[in-house]
Amino acid sequence: MEKSNNPMRASRTLIIGVMAVLLTLSLVLIIQAVTQSGEPVETEEVDVLANSTNKCVLCHRDESPGIVKQYSDSTMAAAEVACEDCHEVQEGYPGSVAHAGTNVLASPTTAKCTTCHEKQVAEFNQSRHGLPAYIAVEGTEGLSQDLMALYEQIPEGGYAPDKSRNAIAALEGDALTGFTCSACHNIGKPAEDGSVGQCQMCHLRHEFSLEQVRKPETCNFCHIGPDHPQYEIYTESPHGIAYHTMGYEWNWEAEPGTLTVEDFPAATCAICHISGFGATASSHDVGERLSWYLFAPISSKRPAWEENTGRMQGVCIECHNQNFINDFYQSADLATERVNELVVESDQIYGELKENQLLTDAPFDEPIDYEYFELWHHWGRTTKFGVWMQGPDYSQWHGAYEVLHSLAELREMAAQKLAEAGLE
Amino acid sequence: MYHLAAIFPGIRRIPVPFSRDQVMMLMLSLNFLLLSVETYLAHLVSGTIVINEWIPILFSPAAGVVLLLAGILSFRKRNLAVILANLVFIASIVVGLLGAYFHLMRAILPDAPAGQQASIPLFIWAPPILAPLVYVLIGWIGVSTVWTEEPADSGKLVLNGEKTIQMPFSKTRAFFFLTSIGCLSTVISSVLDHSRTDFSNAWLWVPTIVGIFAATVAFVLGLYENPTRADLITYFCAMVLMILTGVMGLYLHIQIDLTSRGEVVVERLIQGAPFMAPMLFADIGAIGIIALLNPEKVSRE
Repeated sequence: MEKSNNPMRASRTLIIGVMAVLLTLSLVLIIQAVTQSGEPVETEEVDVLANSTNKCVLCHRDESPGIVKQYSDSTMAAAEVACEDCHEVQEGYPGSVAHAGTNVLASPTTAKCTTCHEKQVAEFNQSRHGLPAYIAVEGTEGLSQDLMALYEQIPEGGYAPDKSRNAIAALEGDALTGFTCSACHNIGKPAEDGSVGQCQMCHLRHEFSLEQVRKPETCNFCHIGPDHPQYEIYTESPHGIAYHTMGYEWNWEAEPGTLTVEDFPAATCAICHISGFGATASSHDVGERLSWYLFAPISSKRPAWEENTGRMQGVCIECHNQNFINDFYQSADLATERVNELVVESDQIYGELKENQLLTDAPFDEPIDYEYFELWHHWGRTTKFGVWMQGPDYSQWHGAYEVLHSLAELREMAAQKLAEAGLE
Repeated sequence: MYHLAAIFPGIRRIPVPFSRDQVMMLMLSLNFLLLSVETYLAHLVSGTIVINEWIPILFSPAAGVVLLLAGILSFRKRNLAVILANLVFIASIVVGLLGAYFHLMRAILPDAPAGQQASIPLFIWAPPILAPLVYVLIGWIGVSTVWTEEPADSGKLVLNGEKTIQMPFSKTRAFFFLTSIGCLSTVISSVLDHSRTDFSNAWLWVPTIVGIFAATVAFVLGLYENPTRADLITYFCAMVLMILTGVMGLYLHIQIDLTSRGEVVVERLIQGAPFMAPMLFADIGAIGIIALLNPEKVSRE
């Protein structure tokens, strides 16, 4: 028998054996992976916090089991993001409270979210979902210099240094505002630590599910009702029909930034306005693909409307040809301008009364104020949104028809006031 | 043994200015430089690069540059160059193991009920567990390369000074085994990554089959003390297939990342199919071919 006098040479067989085991195990792993390929990870089927010894989890499992359950189903928990990572702050941190021997933010601010989601928070801060949403209700009073500077830098934020509190919100009073305007407009509310916004308005706590945030029902929380019925319009649009009839087959958990028509054969709110799709990169600046200020009484093109249009059409062209898109944009531009004409007419009627001092200085204290306001704020907007989002019933019966109806009412009210003043 | 010359006898007439070890060192330096780009892109996927993720991004270019400097230094101060190169390669092994640990931690659910803490789908969807092991492999090949083998194919490595160490296999055979491990980790990474789809795309089977074939061939070749020309040709073809698979994968990944009209969107390049990843096949294939070069020292007279 050959005898090796070198221990290293003696280990040859061992090395070959280990290599053979490695090779075999690898083959088994490969076969396993191939047979289980294409299966998404269902974290909701696994309680990833089942054996957690985290003190927050242990206590809140009794105190508020709902949030622990939600979080245990989340990909954030699966990625081992602990409660403390988002909630715990140093003593004296603005807005924090002492809690169970530490200091926490009851509702983490975007200053915490930006630790991991810097790009998304920066984009959000540049959008109308940021400070402009909050200022639209609360005005600029009380905002710090830093916040005013941030507001001024938002390209499509409609900066006005002395915006006052919204007249309707002021009339309704604080007791109502929290349940009314602010419930939505607080998406851009500044926090005590100087950061802006509430990611959790869309990314519901504590699951932070991609599917949830991508589904149109999420936008429905705010984008509904007579002033901006986008959800209803979407529901009746061909895109919405596709979603409601076939959306259950779509790939809601697809990796962000890789979405194609294979994942989403028709558009959702997120596909058009946020997600990366086709040649358009994802962005949390929700206005980045819009060409008009449709929410305004008289719509004008946004400062960067050409680039914005390019981005939106980069999404459209994944399903529609350029001729279709061009024709659609041309027709929708004309329809928007037509609504503008009708609103201008209402302005002239209302303006004549103002000029002749036939209106009180106080806002919303007589029926004509409401009629004038609803004409553009409800019906004008609805017509335009209906046009651009392809909801004909909304652009017609809930929109253009109501504009005409309001105009007729306005004319009659104005004529009556002028007659009463002997100015007819 | 000059295995490449056994396959292509005419190659002996071509003067090669570098030794096999020097070519391997150059290849490893290039690897580090490319890895810096690849790890940067890979870690950019989540949108924000956290502290741990910066380790390989910063280490890779630094390691590449230090290795190149060590290569230049080796002409005058060989011992210092060997120490520098060894430090880089040992650090590379540490970085690789750390990375594999961090990736593994993302793939398992430590607080989940027993039996649900780890699963194949979790491994598929987690950050690629085997990817950081490329650093270990480079470090391992590097350490094997740095020490001179005297005489060639003896497995006797000359350490600093006169001290020698007898390895179980010759350097060439060790390279074949390391190439096999490289092919293996590459094919597993590729299969796990591709398992995010359902393998219905026939092209996905190409790297799977080629990778398994190359890993097996390299392993078997390492077993032979005196391989035949036919063995070497089979191995060479397997490595060429690895290179072709890498280049083809690069093309296919870029194609998938382009929009339907062929436009480049940076986000899709970063978030989509990792376009540099298939080049790992080409990389291992090239390392496998370098192992066939002449193990003798190059005479500079």
